[in-house]
Amino acid sequence: MNSKRHHLTSPQPSSPVPIFRETSIFDDGRVLGTIYLCTFIFVAALVAIPLLALVYGSLRSAAPGQLGEWTLRNWTSLFSSGVLGTFYTTILIGLASSVIAAIVGTAIAIVVHRTDFRGGPIVTALVSLSFFLPSFILAMAWIIIGSPGGLINGVLETIFDADTWKVDAYTKSGMIFVTVLHQIPFVYLMMRGPILGIDATFEEAARAAGATPMHVLRRVTLPLLGFSITSSLVLTFVLSIEQFAIPALMGIPGRISVLATQLYLLVSFPPPDYGLAAAIGLALSGLTGGAIWLQRRIARSNRLTVTTGKAGRLTLVSLGKWRWAANTLCWGYILCALVLPVIILGYVSVLKYFSANPFEGAYTLRNYVFLFESDSTLRSFWNTLIVSGLGALLGVGLASFISYFTLRHRPPGYRTLDFIASLPFGVPGVVIGLGLLWAYAYIPLPIYGTLIILIISFITRFLSYATETVGGRMIQIDKSLEEAAWTAGATRLQGIRRILVPLAMPSLQGAYFLLFMAFFREIASAVLLYTASTSVLSTSIWSFFEQANWGLASSLSLVGMIVVFVSMYLLMLATKHRPSLKLLDRSKPSTAK
Amino acid sequence: MGIRVNNLIKAFNQTTIVHGISFDVEDGEFVTLLGPSGCGKTTTLRCIAGLERTNGGTIEIDGRVVSQPENDIFIAPHERDLGMVFQSYAIWPHMSVAENVAFPLIARNVDRASIPEAVSWALEVVGLSHLANRQPSELSGGQQQRVALARAIVGKPKVLLFDEPLSNLDARLRDRTRAEISRIQKELAIPAVYVTHDQAEALSMSDRIIVMDGGHIVEVGEPRELYRHPTKKFTADFIGAANFLTLTCRDQKWFAPDGSSITLDPPVVGQNGEQRIAVLRSEDLRLAAQSESVQADRVNTLSGVIEHIQYMGPHIEYAVKVQDTIINVLDQIEFARNASVSVTFRPVDLHLLPNT
Repeated sequence: MNSKRHHLTSPQPSSPVPIFRETSIFDDGRVLGTIYLCTFIFVAALVAIPLLALVYGSLRSAAPGQLGEWTLRNWTSLFSSGVLGTFYTTILIGLASSVIAAIVGTAIAIVVHRTDFRGGPIVTALVSLSFFLPSFILAMAWIIIGSPGGLINGVLETIFDADTWKVDAYTKSGMIFVTVLHQIPFVYLMMRGPILGIDATFEEAARAAGATPMHVLRRVTLPLLGFSITSSLVLTFVLSIEQFAIPALMGIPGRISVLATQLYLLVSFPPPDYGLAAAIGLALSGLTGGAIWLQRRIARSNRLTVTTGKAGRLTLVSLGKWRWAANTLCWGYILCALVLPVIILGYVSVLKYFSANPFEGAYTLRNYVFLFESDSTLRSFWNTLIVSGLGALLGVGLASFISYFTLRHRPPGYRTLDFIASLPFGVPGVVIGLGLLWAYAYIPLPIYGTLIILIISFITRFLSYATETVGGRMIQIDKSLEEAAWTAGATRLQGIRRILVPLAMPSLQGAYFLLFMAFFREIASAVLLYTASTSVLSTSIWSFFEQANWGLASSLSLVGMIVVFVSMYLLMLATKHRPSLKLLDRSKPSTAK
Repeated sequence: MGIRVNNLIKAFNQTTIVHGISFDVEDGEFVTLLGPSGCGKTTTLRCIAGLERTNGGTIEIDGRVVSQPENDIFIAPHERDLGMVFQSYAIWPHMSVAENVAFPLIARNVDRASIPEAVSWALEVVGLSHLANRQPSELSGGQQQRVALARAIVGKPKVLLFDEPLSNLDARLRDRTRAEISRIQKELAIPAVYVTHDQAEALSMSDRIIVMDGGHIVEVGEPRELYRHPTKKFTADFIGAANFLTLTCRDQKWFAPDGSSITLDPPVVGQNGEQRIAVLRSEDLRLAAQSESVQADRVNTLSGVIEHIQYMGPHIEYAVKVQDTIINVLDQIEFARNASVSVTFRPVDLHLLPNT
């Protein structure tokens, strides 16, 4: 058009403003570029070091740090009958417990949210609480209840005065039972969102077409939830086969091996076979990684169908004569997963000698006194607070950088960063522990036997939990909120500090709580790495229990849980301020009239 | 000095969205980019704002080159001295109304002492002084819209940019806010670029309209000119859904498809057999029963059958079938479906598109 001529007749105004800029898109590109580079290198190191060390280890004939030669023996040993049997057991226990947990967890979620069940909020609160009960504490409690020398057998013995009836928790069904108890809150929390978020008009349309509420539930709601149920089933399967504490506490005494515990036994008990352990670890990671890939595929196709996010008024199904069943289901679960374990731990913690009959027991507080007199337990408290408190902070920081770069800034290579950061999600804790064990036998960094290696291992393992939480919020914050700040004269860094961080704050806090609890609960990735001076609460409880000191293990579990819950509560009080987030999704068509 | 866009090219990956367009916005002028979704109008605006990096061409704001990839020039948005109103308003939910409006001043390091005064001025201009301490979540959509406007003007920017700011408001509020934005822009005399797909907004607010389609500029002109005398069929159709009538020339006379002779004012000379497209606006047409005599100046008459009737309140919308062409007519007189009618109009109501 005519401005082409314009351009020729009036040459560019020679303005005094400097017009030559960085090649990076914004002024403070250099700062962000440096942070990006650091994040990238750090995450890559975090993930690549243990994995590469495992690959290396699986191809070596000797223990870490010792001379050996290249070999494929470890990989061929995977097909020996012993290891194949373990594969079979792992998958069997994983499938059985994930299927049962998915059914029961979904049932509880539907009863609580879609029927006229009374006490829904209490059940929700208690199920969420049991989510934070560490699996090794749950396993301990049920061992005390159900092992050959445990409560039930003690009671049976006094009643029948003979060995006619015996219960044994050290069996596959015992392990499945406890794993199911442990996974149900997870399923419940995963299913809750889809169940509440289902578009009410689907159900209303079915109601208008003449279906009864029960009919709607069976013919419309459940099929619509199909994807979500499958997705949580697969994820529960992953969590079950990478579970370490339950099979270690219950399976090892009963001579039942799963992959995670076989790996542990190969490393911890003579004669050690590190190479085979590394090969098993990689195989197990392949199994979990494959399942997660499947789950992601399912979740992605799900996004296309149901999740409109429009919360409407959902019709509640009347329980009627089935109310007793709903009550049994919900309260029975809470009894088994929360109330009974805590009561048993409290009971055992004040006993001098174990006795199934509370009227014959000799009571004492010496277990509690010991906790506060023993330097090593006090140290494990501090270690836990440092590892959980500081480690979670570092983890959230790293996760925020990752989310910012992969979701907002998107510099070259962000997809690679995203991919690398999501890798450890599929790697079981004990495998990460083994990888770090291999790696730091070679890397000349004096962190082996320090708290740092524990923090590294925990962050690696749970990084994706934090990135999912932070990223989930960040993706909801409309891009134009940041752009408005730029056009209003804010630099990119100012936009981050003044707009993005305040708006993402709830998710940062949420991610911090999540990591804090996860680090406190974690035992699998610590069990190969801790030493006497770097023992954390979980590993201290673990070693008490392994020494068959049920009393000390119980008292430390209870005190530890109280300390952690109180500190979490205080943290929550301290960060009460939450901005209103109603306006975040303005650009979505649902708000346009 | 306004804005000068010269040969702007923008591509995302392999797809070119804007194919080298050029236009100027004079000082104080209100220019609208109008076009269907996907025509590149929002991308053009975002390039002016610096939210997208261009692939070619020059953008100047107030005499300063802000984007020229050929010479590796790119000024970040925060240094372009803009005021921008977003489609989603983009009101920061964690700041009060006053804090939202003060932000551009704080970000630009304006003397702190002068900020309260500037904020209250901006809020007064948009009529929100009484809501300064509210949180955004307590505001209606229209009020949020005004906060966004106050925030855009508070720093007295060099350019105002609007990205479909009214599309999330309901119809009545839209009319009011439309007038308000026009008034404020004229008072402040800041050059403005306004992006919309709504022809009513474009016609009522703009000094000039730039009609875009497929990443190209179709036509530029003042609202009246574009509406009455478009030079492109696309413009005539996009602005006010026109009727198109193909006229054929025989013996120096023009004929409609139904064979009736059409008088033009001013007359247009054609060659035998030449065909031209004529634009007819529905509101200029009247219906009459076929026996009825018509007003003296309505010398052009087409005969057709009413195919479809929509009662709209102020008028009735008729679809009349004239041979193979459907002609839309707005009239107040009642006719029945399938009635045979005459469509009448004056010679000046007819506008011939130039030969292409």
